Amino acid sequence: MALELTVNGLPYSVDVDPATPLLWVIRDQIGLTGTKFSCGIGQCGACTVHLDGRPIRSCILPVAAAEGRRVDTIEGVSADGSHPVQVAWRELDAPQCGYCQSGMIMSALALLRANPNPTDADIDAQVTNACRCSTYHRVRKAIHRAAELMRASGEPA
Amino acid sequence: MTRGSERDSRPAGAVGSIDRRSFIAGAAAAQAAFVLGFWLPPRAAAQSGRPLPPGASWYEEPAVPEVNAWIVIEPDDTVTIRIAQTELGQGVWTSNAMMVAEELQCDWSKVRPQYASVNRDAREMAPPWTLEVPGDGARDPRGGGEPAFRNRARTGVSGIPDSLYRRMRTNEAASVRDGRYYLQLAGAEARERLLLAAANDWGVPVGELTAKDSVITHGPSGRTTTYGRIAHLAARTPHPNPESIRIKPPSEWTLMGTERANLDVPMKVTGQTVYGIDVRLPGMKWAAVKSCPVYGGDVKSYDFEAVRNMPGVRGVHRFPIPDPALTRGRVFAGGVAVIADTWYQAKTALDRMPIEWDIPPRSAAFNTANMQAALLAALDEPGTVRVDQGDVDGVFARASRVIEATYSTPYLPRARMEPGNATVLVTDDRVDIWIGDQSPQETRFSASRITGIPEERVYLHMCHLGGGFGRNGNGPQAEQAIMIANANRGTPIHLLWTREEDFIGTTYRAMSVARLRAALDDDGFPLALEVRIGMQKNGFGPDASFDVASRYHAPAYRFSIHQPEFHVPVGTRRGVGQAANEFYRESFIDELAHAAGRDPYLYRRELVARTDLPYKDDMIRALDIAAEMSGWGTPLPEGWARAIALEERGVETGGSATISAMVHTVSVTREGRVRLERVDVAHDRGFGLVNPLSVMKQIEGQITWFYNDAMHQACTVEEGRIVENNFHAFKLSRIDEDPPEINVRFFDTQHWLVGMGHDRGTSVQSAIADAVFQITGKRYRDLPLAQHDLTWS
Repeated sequence: MALELTVNGLPYSVDVDPATPLLWVIRDQIGLTGTKFSCGIGQCGACTVHLDGRPIRSCILPVAAAEGRRVDTIEGVSADGSHPVQVAWRELDAPQCGYCQSGMIMSALALLRANPNPTDADIDAQVTNACRCSTYHRVRKAIHRAAELMRASGEPA
Repeated sequence: MTRGSERDSRPAGAVGSIDRRSFIAGAAAAQAAFVLGFWLPPRAAAQSGRPLPPGASWYEEPAVPEVNAWIVIEPDDTVTIRIAQTELGQGVWTSNAMMVAEELQCDWSKVRPQYASVNRDAREMAPPWTLEVPGDGARDPRGGGEPAFRNRARTGVSGIPDSLYRRMRTNEAASVRDGRYYLQLAGAEARERLLLAAANDWGVPVGELTAKDSVITHGPSGRTTTYGRIAHLAARTPHPNPESIRIKPPSEWTLMGTERANLDVPMKVTGQTVYGIDVRLPGMKWAAVKSCPVYGGDVKSYDFEAVRNMPGVRGVHRFPIPDPALTRGRVFAGGVAVIADTWYQAKTALDRMPIEWDIPPRSAAFNTANMQAALLAALDEPGTVRVDQGDVDGVFARASRVIEATYSTPYLPRARMEPGNATVLVTDDRVDIWIGDQSPQETRFSASRITGIPEERVYLHMCHLGGGFGRNGNGPQAEQAIMIANANRGTPIHLLWTREEDFIGTTYRAMSVARLRAALDDDGFPLALEVRIGMQKNGFGPDASFDVASRYHAPAYRFSIHQPEFHVPVGTRRGVGQAANEFYRESFIDELAHAAGRDPYLYRRELVARTDLPYKDDMIRALDIAAEMSGWGTPLPEGWARAIALEERGVETGGSATISAMVHTVSVTREGRVRLERVDVAHDRGFGLVNPLSVMKQIEGQITWFYNDAMHQACTVEEGRIVENNFHAFKLSRIDEDPPEINVRFFDTQHWLVGMGHDRGTSVQSAIADAVFQITGKRYRDLPLAQHDLTWS
C-alpha cells in the first residue's frame, strides 16, 4: 500500500507496512540518514523530526500517522548550514560525537519558533534530548545564541 | 513528481524469491559493488575531505602522489591529513591534523582530514624516523613525551608498535600522548622535503628557503612557490637524513595551543556526517540479532519457519559465542540473526521468531545481591596485596581512633548513542568492513581469523562513531557481522543492534566494593591506611591509578585487591577503574576530614604536602586554584554546600601526568532534589594543550557524565541477565542536570600530559555524596545516589 508523505517540502510515495515507524521510512525509503536511531522507544530523542512543525520522536510514530502531514528533518533546516540555529551551533562548536545533534537541533528549533526568547527553564523543559557526550553546556549557550540570531534575522516562525 | 517512488525502488536483484539460496547472492552482486566504488555518498566524500574518482574507495591513493603516509597536497594547496584514530566526539579529527599542520607550516584553512587506511597499515611498516621518540621523556619540552608503545607484540589484539600508522586504537585518552611526536615529525618531514624539492628545482641552497602558510620563499631573490605546485616533486624527493629532523617545542607552536573549531562540526549540524549506521551499499541486506541475554549462553533452538514468509525476510543465521581470543578473552553470548531487505523488517521478524536459549546454570545463578555479597565476602579474605608499607597491623592494633567505611559502585555500560553496527562484505579473497571502531587493527585481525582471508586483504572503511567511551571494539558487533557476512559471501550485510542488544554486546565497568580503614593521630591525620578493593577477575583497573598513600600521605599503608569470578564481561569504560576508585578515595578523605574536624580542602592540602611525590606542588596548586576560584569558605545559602576533590593520573611516576582539582557547589532541596550548581576547575596544562577548545569540551562533558554516574546510572543483574537495557530504566541526564556554571582555569606545569579525555570530572561523585552529607546529614556510600532518600528538614 502506497503512502503519501511530504518530507522537507517534497512529496514522496512509499510502499511500506503502515506500522513501520516514521524513522525507518525517512532513513531507508526516503534515504535521509541525518535522523538517528538510538533507543527505539521514544526516550532519547535522537530521532526527533517535526510533524506539522511540532517535534516528535519518529522511532515510535507509525508512518501511517504521518500520512498527508508535513515532516521536516535536519536535512530540511538548511543543507549548507546557514540557518541561524546551525550557525549558532558552529559558533559554540556544540557537537561532540554529533550523533544526537540532529534531534537536538530539531528540538531546539521547535522551541525557538514557539518561543523566540526562551529562558533556561524553558530549555530544560522542552529540550529533553539525551546526549551521552553531555555537551549540554554548549547546547544551552547555542540555543540562546540562535535565539539572538533568529531575532536579528527575523527568521519566520 | 514522484521522487519518492524512484528512491523507493529496490536494487536490482534484491527482489524476488525469498528462498534462502537466492539470498546468498553470487559474484554478481559483489562485482556490482566494486564497479560502483562501494557506494560513496556525496556527504561521505565531504567527510573524507575530497571527492573520489569512480571505482575508488575512500582510502585509495589520491590522484596526486602523497608526500608521506600522512600527507597529500593537491595542486590547489588543499592538504589532506590522514587520521589514524577514530573521531568519536573527542576532537581527534582536528587535533591530530593540528599536530601535523603545525610542522608542515601549511594554510590551516585548506586542511582536510581523512581516515588513514587500515588495510595499508597491515601491509606497510612505519617509517624508521617515526619509531624513535625524540627528547628526554615526559619532562623534556623539546621531546616526544612518554608514548605507551612498549611491550606490545605484533598481533591484532594487543596493538602494533611498528605498523605504518602504529597506534590506530582510540583509547586511554592517549591519542595526543602517543601520537604527538610522530605526527609532528610527519609534518616536519614533509615540510623539509617540500623545501628540498623547491631548492633542487631552483638550484639554490635549501637553507635560503622558508615556508609559511603553504608558501615557500627564497629569501635572497624573493622568489616564491606554493606547496601545491611543488608537492609532486617533493613526493619524489627523499630526505637524506630524516632522523636529524627536530620537532618544535611548545614555545615555538603557532597553531597547536590555539583554540580551533572542530573540522567536522559543520557536517554535524546538517546531518551529513556518516556514522556506521548510515552506510548503504548496493544489494545490501540488514541483519537484526538477538544474543542470549545471559553471558556465556547460546541458542538452543529457533523456528525460522514461523517467520520465513514475513515481508522482506531473506534468511537466518545462527552464530556461536564469538571466539574469546578475538574479544580480549571476554565471553559474550551466542545468538541468531534474521536477515531482511530492511532492518525494521529483520527486527520485526526476529521479535516474532520463537527462540529458546541454552543458559548455563552457573551464569543464571548470579544476581546483584549475591554478587555484592561475594564481593564483600572477598574483602574479608587476604586477597592479593599490591602495596604494603610500614607496620599497618601494628598501627591499627595500637590506634585510639579508627575510621572505616565501605563503598560500592554498580555495573556500568558505556551506552553510547549509536547502537553497535557494522557492514561487512566478504568475497572469496577480500573482506570490506564499514564501521565506526575504536580498534580497527583488532577488527582487521578478527576478520582475517573468521574468514581465513589474510589481513592484507581486509579493508576497513572508517566511519565516525556516535560516541565511544571505551573501545567499542571490546564488543562483538564486528565479529558477529563478519560471521554472518562470511556465511553469505557476496552480499553486503549491515548488522545493527537494537538498544537492548547494545546492552548485551557491551562490556561493563565492573561492579566493585571498597573498604577503607584509617587509624588517626590526635590531630586527625592518618597514621595508617588500609584499602581493600573487591572487583571481579579481569575487571579493568582494580588497581588502576589507585594507590591512596601515594596521593595522600599515611606512614603505614596497605592496598589489596580481592577478586571473585563473575560472568559479566568487563572492560574499559570512560574513566576505567579509576573513576570508581577516585570516588572511594576522595569520599574517604572527606570522611576523615569531617572526623578530624578539619576543612576538607586544607586537610587534603596537608596530606599531599606530606608526600614526597614529584608533582606534589602541582597537586597543591590545583587544590589552591580551585578553592580560590570557587570562593571556598564564603557563605552559601541554606541547602547548599561545596566539596573539593583531586583528580590525577600518573603523579607517582614523575613522568606524564594529568592533574586537576575541582570544587563542586551543590544544592539539595528539602524534597531531595539535587543540583550541581557550579563547578570550578583547576586543570594542568602541562607543557601545552593541542586544542584547548576540545579540552574544554571534554571537561564540560565529563562533568555531566560523572554527575549521571553519581546520581542515576546502574545496571543490575537478575538470573544472570542485565536488567536495565534501555533508556527508560537506565537513565541519561538531560540538559536540566547540566551545571549552569563551569569555570575552568589552566595552569602551567613542567611535564607532558598523560591525557584528559576519560578521567576528568570523577570528583563529581564524591563531591555530591559529601554535599548531600553536609546538607542532609546522611552519608551514602553506594552509587547511584538517586536510589536513596535525600530529603531533609
